[in-house]
Amino acid sequence: MSFNRRTLLTASLTMGAMHAFPGLSYAQARRLVFATFTGSWEEAHKDVLVPAFRKANADAEITLDPMLSVDQIAKVKAALTNPPIDVMLHDPGPALVAIDQGLVEPFPIAKSAHYKDLIPDAQVETGPAPFFQVVGITYNPEKVKTPPTSWEDIWKPEFKGRVGITNLNSTLGTGWLVEIARMRGGSEANVDAGFKAIEDLRPNLGAVASNPGALATLYQQGQVDIGPGNFNAIQILKARGVPVEFVAPKEGAIAFKTTMHIVKNSPNIEMATKLIDAALSPEVQTKLMESPYLIVPTNTKVKMSGEIAKVLAKDHADMKAKFKFQDWKKINEQRAGWIEKFNRDIKI
Amino acid sequence: MATATRPNTTTYELKLALPLALFFCAFFLAPLAILFFVSLHTDPSMSKMGVAQYWKFLSDPFSIGVLLRTLWIGVEVSVLCLLLGLPMAWIYMRASGWMQSVLMLVVLLPLLTSVVVRTFAWIVILGRQGIVNSTLFALGFIETPLRLLYTESGMIVALAQVQMPLMVLPLVTALSRLDPNLLDASAALGAGQWRTFSKVVLPLTLPGIIAGCLLTYAASITAFITQTLVGGGQMLFMPMYIYQQSSTLNNWPFAAAISIIFLCAVLAVVSLFNALGRLSSGYTHS
Repeated sequence: MSFNRRTLLTASLTMGAMHAFPGLSYAQARRLVFATFTGSWEEAHKDVLVPAFRKANADAEITLDPMLSVDQIAKVKAALTNPPIDVMLHDPGPALVAIDQGLVEPFPIAKSAHYKDLIPDAQVETGPAPFFQVVGITYNPEKVKTPPTSWEDIWKPEFKGRVGITNLNSTLGTGWLVEIARMRGGSEANVDAGFKAIEDLRPNLGAVASNPGALATLYQQGQVDIGPGNFNAIQILKARGVPVEFVAPKEGAIAFKTTMHIVKNSPNIEMATKLIDAALSPEVQTKLMESPYLIVPTNTKVKMSGEIAKVLAKDHADMKAKFKFQDWKKINEQRAGWIEKFNRDIKI
Repeated sequence: MATATRPNTTTYELKLALPLALFFCAFFLAPLAILFFVSLHTDPSMSKMGVAQYWKFLSDPFSIGVLLRTLWIGVEVSVLCLLLGLPMAWIYMRASGWMQSVLMLVVLLPLLTSVVVRTFAWIVILGRQGIVNSTLFALGFIETPLRLLYTESGMIVALAQVQMPLMVLPLVTALSRLDPNLLDASAALGAGQWRTFSKVVLPLTLPGIIAGCLLTYAASITAFITQTLVGGGQMLFMPMYIYQQSSTLNNWPFAAAISIIFLCAVLAVVSLFNALGRLSSGYTHS
């Protein structure tokens, strides 16, 4: 995901505008607006989810408005009485922020045809998870001859200067820190062991990227050969001919829920529910599981196949055993402190 | 008689500036005021007013370190741009007609491509298997690749290249105003090339040098994209600090306070440059 000065400015300005002009809103009936993420998410939703939704709902009008989570939150907050977005898409961290700030309408479970078929981890009342993101070990098979099997492999001396990680700005970086802390006796509430582990990793660290996208380009350039990576992002690189492989470590792959939320005070709650329900449906999820999207399905009626079945989990029972979900409520409580500690202490 | 009937040109000019002034107020001053207002809250949910965010930043040696390092990066990039840009501008002045067009194209070319593309090119150049490392390796100077990407020196070189047109263009303008007769006069009076350069060329082009430094300075300390892509995630500079606090942590009051502090610090540096500029104009006229 890219970010520039402008988005930052919009975010802070809308926040300020909300206070300066509390009555600011514009009331008008409009078509359904779904704020997805930019990049491969937008592609997937434009190609699969939107056509499926329109087909099921008599060609209903819908607009995709791709933007970062922080922008979604800023825009909704700035016009809470008449939000410009009906459905938000969030990673676990921002999702909790949106919920805490009262921007989210509970999902009307009774009206959903597919909610009950989701695996329990995806059933979230504030907004279900139609998609999972999975983090495992990424490596360059041309340079790393023995495929890694465990997170511990990254600490091997043979990878001196060749490991790439991201800082804690990303869900990926923070989730990985929590996981390695957990492996050393820590938890979401205490990641000191994780920081110690990163300290020990220092000789091996070739790069600390500022975001997962920048990390991915480092594999392409041969700057790093091994490290944590996001399943989807790595598959996209691989499809473009970059020598990368993804393995789920034996400790379990780190999994994040990507959740869809109905925005509070949305004028299109009914259609918003239908859109989310379409995203939960086995038809849409089956299609999104296939190449090139490779998005992990959460509906138990979807039969796992292709690359996901091969690399991640062959069925939902397998997935339950292999995926590790984290408690982002606990993580959010202390994340600011961790980012500060990372800023101060991690130098390579 | 004739002067009395002439329209008053002063008011005319002010009216012309009105659209720009309105634009400036609506899209720069008003947002800036909102930013300042946001920064005056003590907690991320913005319920209480106070200057705690400013105190938090200014009393923290780490944050002050980030600010100073960011300002210092700008100095390093500006100096490097000047050292590389001045000869370039000089060659341009001395070149023949068609050569000048070629050189101008070379100078302007980076401006015609996006900053992201230029920065990505540097990732390719500085990487472990990049152009620099593979050349050094082929020539037998190194046995294992050097770490160039994600280092401060790599980032400064990349920033200098990315911002180079902002230095060269003002220098070319300043040098082209230089009367070639002055150089001949200096030589005729017995000054060597260095003496001519330091006593004639340098003082007369000082306004251009200051303008170029100012532009590269402001552009390089705020270059979020180049700083993060070539500098990496473990080197913290002000733009990234603001991004972290606002985007990842949703701590808008602190992010706004950092922004205001950064703005003031940059304004201080700019005033310093301007003071230098005034000094230099006094110098050339004395």
